[in-house]
Amino acid sequence: MKPIDLNEMGAIGAIAQEAEGKWGMVIDQDLCTGCQACVAACSMENNIAFVGEEDASYGRSLQWIRIERFWEGEYPEVKMTPFQPMLCQHCHNAPCEPVCPVFAAVHSPAEDLNLQVYNRCVGTRYCANNCPYQVRVFNWRDYERPEPLNNQFNPDVTVRRRGIMEKCTFCLQRIHRAEDLAKAEGREVRDGEFTTACAQACPADAIIFGRLDDPESRVNQLSKPDRGYQMLEELGTVPRITYFKEG
Amino acid sequence: MSKKISRRDFLKLAGMGAATGAALTGCGPASRYVVREPYTQMPEYTFNGQSTYFATTCRECPAGCGLVVRTYQGRALKTEGNPAHPVNQGKTCARGQATLHGLYNPDRVTDPVSQSTRGSRDFSDMDWDAAVQVVADALSNTEPAAIAFLLGPAPDHLFDLVSDLTGAIGAPAPVRYGALSMFEARATLIQATESMLGESRLPVFDLANAGVTFSFGANFLETWLSPVAYTRGYSRMRKQEKRGYLVQFEPRMSQTAAKADEWIPLKSGTEGMVALAIGRLSAEVRGAALPRAFVDVDVAGVAEESGVPVETLLHLAELLAGAERPLAIPGGAALSHINGMATGEAVLALNAMAGNFGQPGGVFLSPVPPNVDEYHHPASLQEMGAFVEQMKAGDIQVLLVHGVNPLFELPNALGFEDAMKSVPLVISFATFPDETALQSDYIFPDHHGLESWGYQRIAAGTDRSTLSGAQPVVVPFYNTRATADVLLAAFAEVGGELAAALPFADEVAFMQDKLLPLVENKDANFNAAEINTFFAYFQQLGGWWGNQIAFTAPAQNTLNNAMTVAAPEFEGEGEFVLLPFVSPVLAESGANKPWLQEVPDPTTTVMWNSWVEINPDVGHELGIENDDVVRIVSEAGAVEVSVYLYPAIRPDTIAIPFGQGHTAYGRYAEGRGVNPLDLLGLKFNEAGDLAYASMRVRIEKTGRKRELARLESKIGVYGEGLGEEH
Repeated sequence: MKPIDLNEMGAIGAIAQEAEGKWGMVIDQDLCTGCQACVAACSMENNIAFVGEEDASYGRSLQWIRIERFWEGEYPEVKMTPFQPMLCQHCHNAPCEPVCPVFAAVHSPAEDLNLQVYNRCVGTRYCANNCPYQVRVFNWRDYERPEPLNNQFNPDVTVRRRGIMEKCTFCLQRIHRAEDLAKAEGREVRDGEFTTACAQACPADAIIFGRLDDPESRVNQLSKPDRGYQMLEELGTVPRITYFKEG
Repeated sequence: MSKKISRRDFLKLAGMGAATGAALTGCGPASRYVVREPYTQMPEYTFNGQSTYFATTCRECPAGCGLVVRTYQGRALKTEGNPAHPVNQGKTCARGQATLHGLYNPDRVTDPVSQSTRGSRDFSDMDWDAAVQVVADALSNTEPAAIAFLLGPAPDHLFDLVSDLTGAIGAPAPVRYGALSMFEARATLIQATESMLGESRLPVFDLANAGVTFSFGANFLETWLSPVAYTRGYSRMRKQEKRGYLVQFEPRMSQTAAKADEWIPLKSGTEGMVALAIGRLSAEVRGAALPRAFVDVDVAGVAEESGVPVETLLHLAELLAGAERPLAIPGGAALSHINGMATGEAVLALNAMAGNFGQPGGVFLSPVPPNVDEYHHPASLQEMGAFVEQMKAGDIQVLLVHGVNPLFELPNALGFEDAMKSVPLVISFATFPDETALQSDYIFPDHHGLESWGYQRIAAGTDRSTLSGAQPVVVPFYNTRATADVLLAAFAEVGGELAAALPFADEVAFMQDKLLPLVENKDANFNAAEINTFFAYFQQLGGWWGNQIAFTAPAQNTLNNAMTVAAPEFEGEGEFVLLPFVSPVLAESGANKPWLQEVPDPTTTVMWNSWVEINPDVGHELGIENDDVVRIVSEAGAVEVSVYLYPAIRPDTIAIPFGQGHTAYGRYAEGRGVNPLDLLGLKFNEAGDLAYASMRVRIEKTGRKRELARLESKIGVYGEGLGEEH
C-alpha cells in the first residue's frame, strides 16, 4: 500500500493512519472491459433485488457494484474513460460509520471490513449521504420477486426489505465459510482459497481479491507502483481497493 | 445413474474430481431417472449446510462455456465458470450468471399445451402421452419431404438426433438458425476463410499473443463468436511484456472500441477498402515488394470514400509495418454489406501480408470438434429466405421449432409470420412462451438448459477439440420433458422398421451412443475403459476435450491476385445509415431475465429499454434532445424509440441495439423497447448473409418524450430532469 504523506493530507491526513488491513482487492482498469459480469454475479450471490424501470430511472437500482465510465472530448476526438468498477472501498477510516445513530454501519475489528447490520438499520440514510464513493444503496420499497424466482436465493445472505441500507460486503459469507473450514482444519485461510463473486466471474481477470496482510498474496504481488492509485485517496479514508490505471 | 456403477463407485469418482480441484458430482438430481421426493427423505448426497456442485454447459448462447452450478437442497443458487473448461476457464459473462433467472422465471411454459387458435393464448393442458401421440401422428401421417425441423444453434445432441431421425424417415435435414450468427455474418466469415486460408472453417484469432490488432468492427468483447474466450485473449494481450495495442474500425464506438487505443470512425461498409489501403501503404513503408493484391488500390480514393484522412491511413500503415505480430480481425457488421465477401478477404489479406497464418498472435483454423467431420454452420439469411419460400408454397406441412425464436430473430421483411399461416401444423418445443410459440398449435416445453442433458460441440473459442457436456443440475421444476425424449418416444410410437433406426430408450442412451467413438481416444482430459465410466466422467468434468492443441495452421497465402473492394451500396432513402448491433447484455434471448434487464448497457448505461444513438451535433441541428421519442423510418418499416445522444457515433449513422422489442416472452420482456430487425430489408451479400448494415433511414419527430432509465445520471432521485408523467 502506498504510504500516506501526512503533509499532503493536512488536517484530514492527521486522522489517517497506515493500516495493513486483512482483505483487499486490486482492480486493473486496463483489463476491465465493462462487460458487467461482476454486476450480474454480485446480484446473484447476494440476493439483490431488481427494482424495475421506473425506480431504476430514479437512481434507485440496488447493485452493490457498478461500472462507471465518462466521456472526454467531442466527436471525432471523443474518448471513453477506462471502465471503472465502483463498489464499497471498505475504508479503514470509513466516513459512513461515525454518522450512524444506531451503529448499523460498524467496523469489524476482526476482518477490518465495513459492515452493515441490517436489523439495526433504521433507514436514516446518513451513511449514504456521507459516503464519498456513493456505493451505498437504499431499499425504497419491498421489491417484488414473483414465485418461483425466490428459489434462487442464497441461504447464506440475508434478504433485505424496505427501509434498509445495504452495500458490498466483500462477500462476507464466503470469507466466513473459508475461515470456518480453515479453523476446522487447524490452519490459516490461504490466499486464493476463495474469492468474491465479482472476481470469480470477471472474464478479463481484472478483479483480484485476497489477503492484504500476506506479502506473498496475489493482491500484494500484483502491485504496480507506477499505475496503482486509490479512489479519492486525498480524503484519507484509506480504502482497501487499489485501482490500476490504464496503460 | 446407470445400473452398472454402484453409488459407492460413483462417490469414489466424485472424490477424484475433488482431488483435481473441482468437487463435482455426476449423481444426485442429475441421475438418469429422477423423482421428486420430500426432503424428509434426504438424498444421501445432501448434507445439511453443504452445497452440491454440478458441471454443465451454459445455454445462454452457442459459445458453450462450461458452468459449475452450486445447488443446495435441490435448488440451483449460483452459476460459476468451470475452471477446467477450455472455453471459459472458470469465467462467465453476465448472461451466464443470469441463467438462473431463466430456470426460475415466473413465465415459463409449465405443461404441454394445445392452443385453440394460433396467437389466442387460449391454452388447454395436455398430458405427455397425448403430446407424444401428436408428434407421432405428425411424423407418420405426413409426407416425409413436408416435415421441417427448425432448430437453434444449441444443443448439438438434439441436432444430431434430429439429423438421424430425418435421415431415417427421408425428411429434409434440420435447418439451424440463430440471430447471433446473422449478426456475426458467419457464412461470409467462413467463405472468406475458405477463399483466403483454404478451408471452410471458422478462423481463430490469437488475440492473446498479438502485438498490434486491427479489428474491423469485430465486437469480440461483447457477443462475437465466443466472448468469454476472446475477453481472456484480450486480457492476456494487454498483460504481455510489451502491452498489446488495439485499433478498432467502426462507425459507432462499441464496448470493444471503448477499450481500443484508437477508434477510427470510418463510413459503414468501407472497412475492406480501408484494409487494402493500409496494406498497400504498409508494404510501401516497409519498402517491400508490393503484393499483387494491393496494386489496384487508390489510397486517395479510399480516404475520400471512407472518411479516414490519408494521414491517418499512413499513421496506421506505419503502426502495422512496425509491429511485431500484427493481427487483423473482420467483424460481423463489416461483412454485412453487399461487398462483405471482398471485405472479409481484404482484412484476411492483411494477415497474409504479415505472414501470421499459423503463427503466435496470428490466424489459425478452429479445431474440428469431436464426433463430427465438418463444421455445420447455421443457415444464412438467404437460406432462411428459401425456407420461408418453401413454407409459403405449401411444401411444408409440419413445422417443428426448437431453440430458436424466428418471429423475433428474423427480419419482418422475410415474412416468416405470414409463411407460418401456410403450414397446417406448427409444434413449438419452447421453454418460454416466445413469439413463435404463441403462433404455434402446440407447445411441448423442453426443460430449461440447467435441467437438461446434452452436449455442445465448440465451434470457436478453444484451442483443442472440445465437446462440452450438459447434465441436469436440479430436477425439472415443471411438467416439462426433454424434446429428444419426446421425439424418441414418438418415433417408437410410429413403430415399424423405422423405429429400429433409433433404438434408444431415452436421450441419455442416444448420447452414450454418440460418445462411444470417443472412448477409444485416450489423449484427452480423462480416460475410461467403457462407456458407463466414460459417461460418468463426462458429466462430472463437464465434457470431453483433447490434451493436444489442435489448431490448424493454414497454408500461407501469397496474395497473387489483385483485390478490390467496391464502394458500399445502401438501400432506401434517408439521411442516416442504420447500424443495428447486438445488445452486449441481453443479446438474442436475455430480455426475459429481470436481472439482465436491470444490468446497465456498458456504453450508454441504459436499463430496461431500447434507445437510438444519435450524434449530439446532429441532434442539436434537428432539435432533438435526449429522451425524445422519434420515429425511425426505413423502406421496410418504422419503429418509435427514445433518443440517446451518443457522443461517439458518426453523424451519418444511427444505431439501435437488438435484444428488446418482444411482443411475447414473459412479463419482463413483453412490450418493452423495439426490434431494429423490423427496419431491415432483404439485400444479401455473395455468401448469402444479410447486408443488414446498409439500410438508410430517416428520423421523424413525434413531439413526445419517454425517459430512459440510465445509471449514469442520478438526477432523477429528487425529480429534476424528469417529465411530467413522473
